[in-house]
Amino acid sequence: MGPVELLHMSVFSQSFSPCGRFLAAGNNYGEIAIFSLCAALSPDTSEAGRKPVLTFSAHDGPVFCLESFGGHLLSAGDGSVSAWNWAELIKKNVKAVWTRRPEYKASMEIPEINAMVINPRDNSVVFGGGDNNVHILDLEHGVFKSVFRGHTDYVHCLSVREREGEVLSGSEDGAVRIWDTRTSQCVHCVEVHKYQKCARPQFGKWISCLTTDSDWMLCGGGPSLSLWHLRSLTPTSVFALSGCQRRATFYQDMILAVGQGPTVSHCLLGGQVKAQIPCTPNNINSLELNTNSAEHQVLTVAGSSQFVDVFTNVSYRAFSLCF
Amino acid sequence: MSSEALKKRKAKVLRNEAGPTEVKRGRGDGDQQCAEVEQKRLQSCNHFMTLKKLNRLAHMRLKRGRDQTHEAKQKVDVLHLQLQNLLYEVLHLQKEISKCLEFKSKHEEIDLVSEEEFYKDAPQEISRPQLTKNDPHQLTLARLDWELEQRKRLAETYKESQASKEKIQKSIEIKKEHLRSLQPGLNAIMQASLPVQEYLAVPVEQTQKHTEIAQHLPPPLYVLFVQANAYGQACDKKLTVSISGDVDEAKAMSKPPEDSQDDDSDSDAEEEQEKTKRRRSTAGGQLDDKRREMLKRHPLSLSFDLTCKDGSVLSLYFYYLINLNIMTVKAKISASTDLTTAISAGYLVKSETLLSCLYSNDHGTETPNPANRYQFDKVGIGSFADYVEELGHPYKWVQNLGGLNFPSDTSEVRGVLVGSSLSASHMENTMKLLRGRVMSRLALHKQFASLEHNIIPVTSECLYLFPAKILSRLTQWTTITQEEYMNLTFTRHVTDAGLAKETDMYFSGVVERGTARLQAAVVLNPRYPEISPLFSLSLNWKGERSGHTDDNLRAMESEVNVFKNELQGPRPGYQLLTNQISRLCVCLDVYLETEEQDDGVEGPREFPREKMCLRTVKGPNRLKPFKYNHPLGLFSHR
Repeated sequence: MGPVELLHMSVFSQSFSPCGRFLAAGNNYGEIAIFSLCAALSPDTSEAGRKPVLTFSAHDGPVFCLESFGGHLLSAGDGSVSAWNWAELIKKNVKAVWTRRPEYKASMEIPEINAMVINPRDNSVVFGGGDNNVHILDLEHGVFKSVFRGHTDYVHCLSVREREGEVLSGSEDGAVRIWDTRTSQCVHCVEVHKYQKCARPQFGKWISCLTTDSDWMLCGGGPSLSLWHLRSLTPTSVFALSGCQRRATFYQDMILAVGQGPTVSHCLLGGQVKAQIPCTPNNINSLELNTNSAEHQVLTVAGSSQFVDVFTNVSYRAFSLCF
Repeated sequence: MSSEALKKRKAKVLRNEAGPTEVKRGRGDGDQQCAEVEQKRLQSCNHFMTLKKLNRLAHMRLKRGRDQTHEAKQKVDVLHLQLQNLLYEVLHLQKEISKCLEFKSKHEEIDLVSEEEFYKDAPQEISRPQLTKNDPHQLTLARLDWELEQRKRLAETYKESQASKEKIQKSIEIKKEHLRSLQPGLNAIMQASLPVQEYLAVPVEQTQKHTEIAQHLPPPLYVLFVQANAYGQACDKKLTVSISGDVDEAKAMSKPPEDSQDDDSDSDAEEEQEKTKRRRSTAGGQLDDKRREMLKRHPLSLSFDLTCKDGSVLSLYFYYLINLNIMTVKAKISASTDLTTAISAGYLVKSETLLSCLYSNDHGTETPNPANRYQFDKVGIGSFADYVEELGHPYKWVQNLGGLNFPSDTSEVRGVLVGSSLSASHMENTMKLLRGRVMSRLALHKQFASLEHNIIPVTSECLYLFPAKILSRLTQWTTITQEEYMNLTFTRHVTDAGLAKETDMYFSGVVERGTARLQAAVVLNPRYPEISPLFSLSLNWKGERSGHTDDNLRAMESEVNVFKNELQGPRPGYQLLTNQISRLCVCLDVYLETEEQDDGVEGPREFPREKMCLRTVKGPNRLKPFKYNHPLGLFSHR
């Protein structure tokens, strides 16, 4: 990785290890880097502590999603998903445990996988990607058990509604579809850009950001970031953020949103933007909270830069890890 | 006598006695008394006579005793004398004996041959074994005889060899004379053969002259000369080496070390210094002199002529700074084509910057010899960079070619070569790099000439990299200074990453299509094309965007900066820059054409879709397809 490549690096995904002491980050060159949080957070750390303990090439294309589940690190990007054993990775032993590829229709390009979520209820992984469909992979049997078809453009983001066993998908065509995992049918379809409150025609209609906590749903992208009540499927608050948001998450009683613009926005449920914390990357692709470890409870943010910002306190940036 | 005296005294006494007695008894008894007195007198006379006789006897006895003693004494004396004589003689004889015993005859100093050898070598008459075996005296005599014999023989042989040596010496003298007389004849022949040499292109005379002058070169220049000659003859016919400068001065320079040991010349020098001190009282003038002295160049210098494939010639002039022990170089290109057409390219072939960073980090502005720091401090020279223009650049590769190896600041553990092996190990590589540098600069020069006329020169081998129809046009290409570059807002990340250095060249290019204007700031490293130029973009179309704000512009930057290996073109890769600019135009086309139609705004699209793309957006950050696939003519994502 020469200095020029580092200059043009973008980090798309992050995931914390099950023990909470390591952070895996995937970049646009198809590499995954493992950072040691203990080394980075210790008081007498040096430059070397902020560098990865291991960097390896995982995919041919960019690594768009990373998830940790059951002691494994799942990575997906260029159309296939690979699983890596966390314990082996910590020992710097790089070997994929398994690799799977959903069935795609034959076409000139292999569609990418943009989003991946774990459904712990039935031990499966949900993928959404460039072929406009949502695929479910059963982890026990290692086969793709169902496909949700319905979107007319590629799927940007996914979210799982655990209580009802439903999957939400947001796509480039501007629709948020809610699927029932058992019947594989689309239960609801919400076209966010049709709602006057949220629509921003100057940007477009795509939905790049989706998250739920069973009763509420946050979605945004071309339209403004908005909070929806799922039972009535109506937008309750709209957040006046300038760029297009790519990730949002519920945190305590706030909402953290990241996307275009070098800031992490703190918003209140009512719709006010409480604070905008500046970060290193100019556009942010990924936001992760470390809930697996009590002592390394950090928020990490990464985007179009080779630096991954670490927040020990959500109000300010503490330091940056560097690829 | 004494008896007479006695008698007289007696007589006196008698008289006296007789007197008083006579007086007393006077008259009466006088007769009786006179008879008694007569008796007494007779008695006394008898006594006196016996006394005398006794006295006489005593005397005679004494005398006799004395005589006897005397005789005995005489005898003893004689014997004593004899004893003394004998003892003396004994002593004398003992001394003589010891002298005799100590006597070392000269013959013992002579190293005689050992007995066995003697019996072996000596002829019978001399060795006489029967006699000598028993008698050591005879043996020694015989050995001495043999020694004498041998010495006589050797003396004769010595005389003979002396005579022959004289003869040979004489003959040598004659031959030497003969040879000396040949020399002028040979010189005449050499002179006569010069025209023939030139005709046959065998510059024997020239190389000889060079070798002769080369004797006066300082050691690093000599090493360089030898290695370059060797390399030129062995590998590279297009390299010519020649020595220029004042040979006499060089000869004069090598003499002074002997003179300076004389006290006279020292005092002379001191006197002179004093005189000059009086003339120039300013310390500044003195310091100037000292500085000039320190930076003095050796009168001889080497000049290399490297001819490249297209006929351009790179001339290098190597100088040696005596007191600083470093070598410097000046460069000049004489191109086969006219070099005055491109304005922005003037910097490319300027002699000061032509050879900058031939090897990475070799700026040639500071002296590589750490000892020079102390010397500079003494005369108040702040930095060598001020004198570089006048004296030439002290690049590290120049020191290596001259066999000078200075320890560097960074503790690299390289094999420690010195002298000619160091020079030889670097020679080939350096020559290749020099040629490459000249060719790339000339190629760039030509390209710049056309870029300034807004034509991007793409060679036929590289046409396949781009689609046939490119609508964006290059409308400007200028040089900018480093300061201007750093002041641009969209180049901050390059400067922060340390990729925009003082030795780099900076350019600004503008690509336009319709109302869209894309400005590109380019950093060109002197080691082009090994290190590719770095582009930073800013687009002015419906608002100002740059690689910072817009992910797609960033993707365009990485398309040109990171995925450049395909753009290198045929082997030497000089087409890199022009190909990058072409690609930039293509990417701008794609960017503008795939921009989404904003439904809220009325009117036709400014840029109709003409490029074929599989998908216009892909990925979480919705990138446009910038990658051109050659035979299909399609655009896809990376």
